[in-house]
Amino acid sequence: MALSTTVSQRKHIKRKAPRGFLKRVFKRQKPHLRLETSGDLLMHLNCLLFVQRLAEESRTNACENKCGVIKREHVLAAAKVILKKSRG
Amino acid sequence: MGGASGFWVPGPEGKGLQAKISDESSTLHPLVPPPCIIQSCWSLHSAQRALLETPSSRRLSSQTKMTARRRSQRTKSIGKLAHVQASGHLEEQTPRTLLKNILLTAPESSIVMPESVVKPVPAPQVVQPPRRESSRGSLELQLPELEPPTTLAPGLLAPGKRKQRLRLSVFQQGMDQELPLSQEPHGNADASSLTSSLNLTFATPLQPQSVQRPGLARRPPTHRAVDVGAFLQDLRDTSLALAPPDTVLEDTQPFSQPLVGQSPSVHHSLPCPSHSGAEDAERAVSHRTRSSGPRLQNNSPGKPAQLLAGRAEEVDALAMSFSHSSSSIFGEVAVEPLQDGVGEEAEERMEESLSMSKVKEAARAQGSARAEEPEGHTQVTEAEGSQGAIETKEPEGSSGDVDTSGRTVSPELAASTPEFLQAKQLQCLEPAPPPSTAVLPLEPLSARLPPRARTPGPKPRQDPYKTRLSHYAKLFSFYAKMPMERKALEMVEKCLDKYFQHLCDDLEVFAAHAGRKTVRPEDLELLMRRQGLVTDQLSLHVLVERHLPLEYRQLLIPCAFSGNSVFPAQ
Repeated sequence: MALSTTVSQRKHIKRKAPRGFLKRVFKRQKPHLRLETSGDLLMHLNCLLFVQRLAEESRTNACENKCGVIKREHVLAAAKVILKKSRG
Repeated sequence: MGGASGFWVPGPEGKGLQAKISDESSTLHPLVPPPCIIQSCWSLHSAQRALLETPSSRRLSSQTKMTARRRSQRTKSIGKLAHVQASGHLEEQTPRTLLKNILLTAPESSIVMPESVVKPVPAPQVVQPPRRESSRGSLELQLPELEPPTTLAPGLLAPGKRKQRLRLSVFQQGMDQELPLSQEPHGNADASSLTSSLNLTFATPLQPQSVQRPGLARRPPTHRAVDVGAFLQDLRDTSLALAPPDTVLEDTQPFSQPLVGQSPSVHHSLPCPSHSGAEDAERAVSHRTRSSGPRLQNNSPGKPAQLLAGRAEEVDALAMSFSHSSSSIFGEVAVEPLQDGVGEEAEERMEESLSMSKVKEAARAQGSARAEEPEGHTQVTEAEGSQGAIETKEPEGSSGDVDTSGRTVSPELAASTPEFLQAKQLQCLEPAPPPSTAVLPLEPLSARLPPRARTPGPKPRQDPYKTRLSHYAKLFSFYAKMPMERKALEMVEKCLDKYFQHLCDDLEVFAAHAGRKTVRPEDLELLMRRQGLVTDQLSLHVLVERHLPLEYRQLLIPCAFSGNSVFPAQ
């Protein structure tokens, strides 16, 4: 692989929500249900918070393992916890 | 410190001798400007040594002769001066660094001792032995040339330098006169300085000087700076003379040790241990060059044409390595062919895949290079017959190759085979999109797609879905505030996939529980409350304000506008 294996931290992100994408995802998962207006925004918010939790958890995992780089195992361990926490 | 102090302390002759010495030093003094105490101490040294070992009449005559000689030389050779100084400037760098190192290291060890006395004493003494040897040893031809200009130069230019030269020449002549006798008191002095308390030995040499010469005693503060200069000059002289340092005597002294460690690096004529090290280094270099030659040759022709030959070489290499197996690296070498075997099996399965074959070609090229290396080893060892060379060389060359190749080869193979199997399973389970899955197993790089695309279902929109997931993955790397691996990012995308699945299921359940077929914001709020994101202290609106930009906040949070209207109608 010529590409570098590590991805540096992003300094800038888009704050725009991919609303069409969220609606499409919901429609694909549950074709028989409707999503009310601004429901996708709340989905975006929820996803944002989930990602944030996941990032923090995996970061703490990496720090506990004294790793300067977040590895796959750290994300996996964090996902087990956070996915369980974010069950409805 | 040993030399100077040693002469003063054990000297049984006592004050009578010292008085004589003072007389002599006073006779020397008109030549010597006052500021340098050490140098005067030095001259006292030589004079005292002469006192100790020779009858006084002979000593007096020799001293007068020396002074006369010096003057004549000074008048004669002025032209040599510039040349010597230039050479001294060229070699200034190394002694200065040496001196800095010594100055850095010295005070730590000399905390206990009185400040003013500590530095001057070791300097001349450290310099002594090489000078002695230079006068004694093979460089006798050089020294008579070197000495007169050096004595001349400082006399004309700087007072401190002139003193030093005087002192050194005096000392050398004394040495020439009585070599064997002068050696012994040095050793005794070292021993005495080590055994006896250091304070006493240091305190004594200064006091008589100050008593005898009030002009010198006035300036103890300048004393140190002059010391540094004198020490620098001495070092320069030693580097000029290129005398092999006689460090055996001074190993016992605490101050001479930094010099001892650094002197071999300065002198180009290396002593025995460093010379052996240089030989080892040369051997290692030769090994590298020899091994790098075949390595490069093997990498360049490592084409599919040589695959079979490469395998044969690998087998040979295995045999060689097992026959040789003395180090742990060969274990890795033994592991690699296993991986290669796995790779070969995989290759037999999918021979059409070009990319994998390329990867394996690279791996095989490395393997062949690796195979060549042990052979080079054996040649070298047969030539030299030394096994130490093998030990030194192997960790350098082969371990690096082994590690890198192992890393590059093993994860790819390990990743490619299960994905290949997964792709086959997918093919069995989902025959709906045959063209895509049929193509996938052939391309191992794109074989990662099916497991990810499996959960959202077989849709033509897989790619935009993935790119949108990568949007949240970027968000992840923003929130993580740390660098992360690409595999971790892929893992995050998988997690997001799972998360959306769960989210939609939960929303469906909530809406169904409320008897609706429409997912409303209350359902999402309830979900976030169950997730622990929204609590009694932290409302949904606060979260919205925190995490969403203004335009989305306006859409979510009801706000009163003009005309008695609330925009997002409750």
